[in-house]
Amino acid sequence: MSNGQEFEEIEQERKARRKVFYLTFAALVLIVGGFLIWKLSILILPIIVGALLAFVFRPVKERFRVRWLPHQIQVLCSFAAIGLVLFFAFNTLRKHIPDEEQKLEFKVRLKYKLNEKYRQLVAKPAEEKSNAVAPLIEKELGPLMDKFNQSLELNPEERDLFLKYAAGHNGKPPIQGKFVDYFRANQRMRKYVILEKAPTGAAEPTRTVAPAPAEPGAATEGPSFENKLSAWMLAPLIFIFLGFDNGQIRRFFIGLVPNRYFELSLTVVDRLDDAIGNYLRGTLIECFLVGVTLALGLILLGIPAGVAVAIAVVSGLLNAIPFVGTAIALVIGLGYALVAENIRPLIPGLNPNDLALYVVILVVITHVLDDVVFQPFVLGSAVNVHPLAVVIAIISGSLIMGLWGMLFAIPTVVVIKTAVATFFEELKDYRII
Amino acid sequence: MSVRNLTADKLLWETLGRWKRSSPELDRIQFLKTVPFFDRLSNRQLKSVSDIMFERKYDANESIFEEGQPGAALFLILDGKVAVEIFRETSTTRLAVLEKGAFFGEMALLDDTPRSATARALERTRTLALYRNDLRGLVHRDAKTACRIYRSLAGMIADRLRLTNELVQMKTPTDDVGSG
Repeated sequence: MSNGQEFEEIEQERKARRKVFYLTFAALVLIVGGFLIWKLSILILPIIVGALLAFVFRPVKERFRVRWLPHQIQVLCSFAAIGLVLFFAFNTLRKHIPDEEQKLEFKVRLKYKLNEKYRQLVAKPAEEKSNAVAPLIEKELGPLMDKFNQSLELNPEERDLFLKYAAGHNGKPPIQGKFVDYFRANQRMRKYVILEKAPTGAAEPTRTVAPAPAEPGAATEGPSFENKLSAWMLAPLIFIFLGFDNGQIRRFFIGLVPNRYFELSLTVVDRLDDAIGNYLRGTLIECFLVGVTLALGLILLGIPAGVAVAIAVVSGLLNAIPFVGTAIALVIGLGYALVAENIRPLIPGLNPNDLALYVVILVVITHVLDDVVFQPFVLGSAVNVHPLAVVIAIISGSLIMGLWGMLFAIPTVVVIKTAVATFFEELKDYRII
Repeated sequence: MSVRNLTADKLLWETLGRWKRSSPELDRIQFLKTVPFFDRLSNRQLKSVSDIMFERKYDANESIFEEGQPGAALFLILDGKVAVEIFRETSTTRLAVLEKGAFFGEMALLDDTPRSATARALERTRTLALYRNDLRGLVHRDAKTACRIYRSLAGMIADRLRLTNELVQMKTPTDDVGSG
């Protein structure tokens, strides 16, 4: 046997050995990885959030790239800039977060105003006795209103506190008289369903509405609050460590790729990075634009700037969830419009009593602007996901992980779609398939 | 070179000299200094380039890239031998055998047009790969360094074009040019 043949045989044996080794190793990694994911599922979400934040804020880090400055200092500067912006944003927002007194006042107002609107809706003027719609509304909405009232009911401690604030408490001036009147009216309020069912003249009907059932096993199921808190401590840590990464993680993983796929992997990783980065940053800008539009619109409708900004921030952030974001913006906006008082729209000719209608129109205009202008402008057509896929993804996300699942459904679809498309395209270009 | 660059260079080399007297990083920078492609770069700039390069190891007869594949990176030979070949229907033509310090696949730094030849390791070979988009990223971070690399690349392409023109002129009879 010649030396060449011997060498060939040795090489063949080595290749076979290598294949067995790689397969065994891959199986082991899969088993251990699967077990860890199952056992440490609580950590998945904080890790994803931390990594996504690091990804979104990477351009800020790039802004601080000064060649004569050490990498660590550059990263610290970028963290300081992000921290400063966040600090001012939270500080501004904090001023508009209602305190204990305002929360109580809002609850009382909301309950009173909702019931006032409901009574206006079902009220039957003398000339409309034959109106068949009102009883129907009463029958359908009555139980719903009872549930609302139950959830807005002040507990004994809150009632005592409200009365204290009504008289002036903690160095604060007394609550306005009309809110105290609302509070008293709320105390006298009865259940709609019972009133309808009760025989004439019944003074105090027996309770027919069952109290809301306690959530079964809510306290015993799932990880404890401490565990959740310690898991969420991971998110900022991941953000910080990924911030300090100077391409080492990418180099490590590219280093594991076989030589045959080296250039392919570089191209795929790069394209994925571009697509996902553009999508995430585009979505963030889109949410910001939606928030600004809503804030301006609400201010023009006469809603106080602080409240308008608070509603716009929540609605803008939730806009990242297609369809659901708009619906939530509508609910929040309408909720406020129903309880708002002394509104003076900045646009002349608007009737303050029709505020709810204007809010609906504003949300619709913002949604149309988002679809027609913002999305094509900031996201382009780089990542087109079919509306049906969007709906299915959101529902699936909510079933798997609730609100977080809804929020991450579309980015996940984008990642998978881009990864699959790029991977197959490149595999063909590199003549591997 | 500005005073600031000189100070940065001095600081870098003092640190490297103190802590990494025989580190692979220093070896790599020393190696890059010997490659004509990077001869215009200072030590600090070589460090920037070294930071974005990937080291790859190839077995004998293992393909580094194949003719027709989209190019993505330039390769420098750290040690070993690489054959550059083109395959035609029935035959294989070896265009060159490259050794330590040589580089190939440089056109991939400009675009992803298909490779014009196949590169294959003739023995166990170590290479350093410079990915196109990493070099583009360097344009934003350290424009001067990236600019010098692109300038080297342009100079090399100009040399090749000159050589090709000379070859064409040598093969074309002078009377053919004016006869048209």
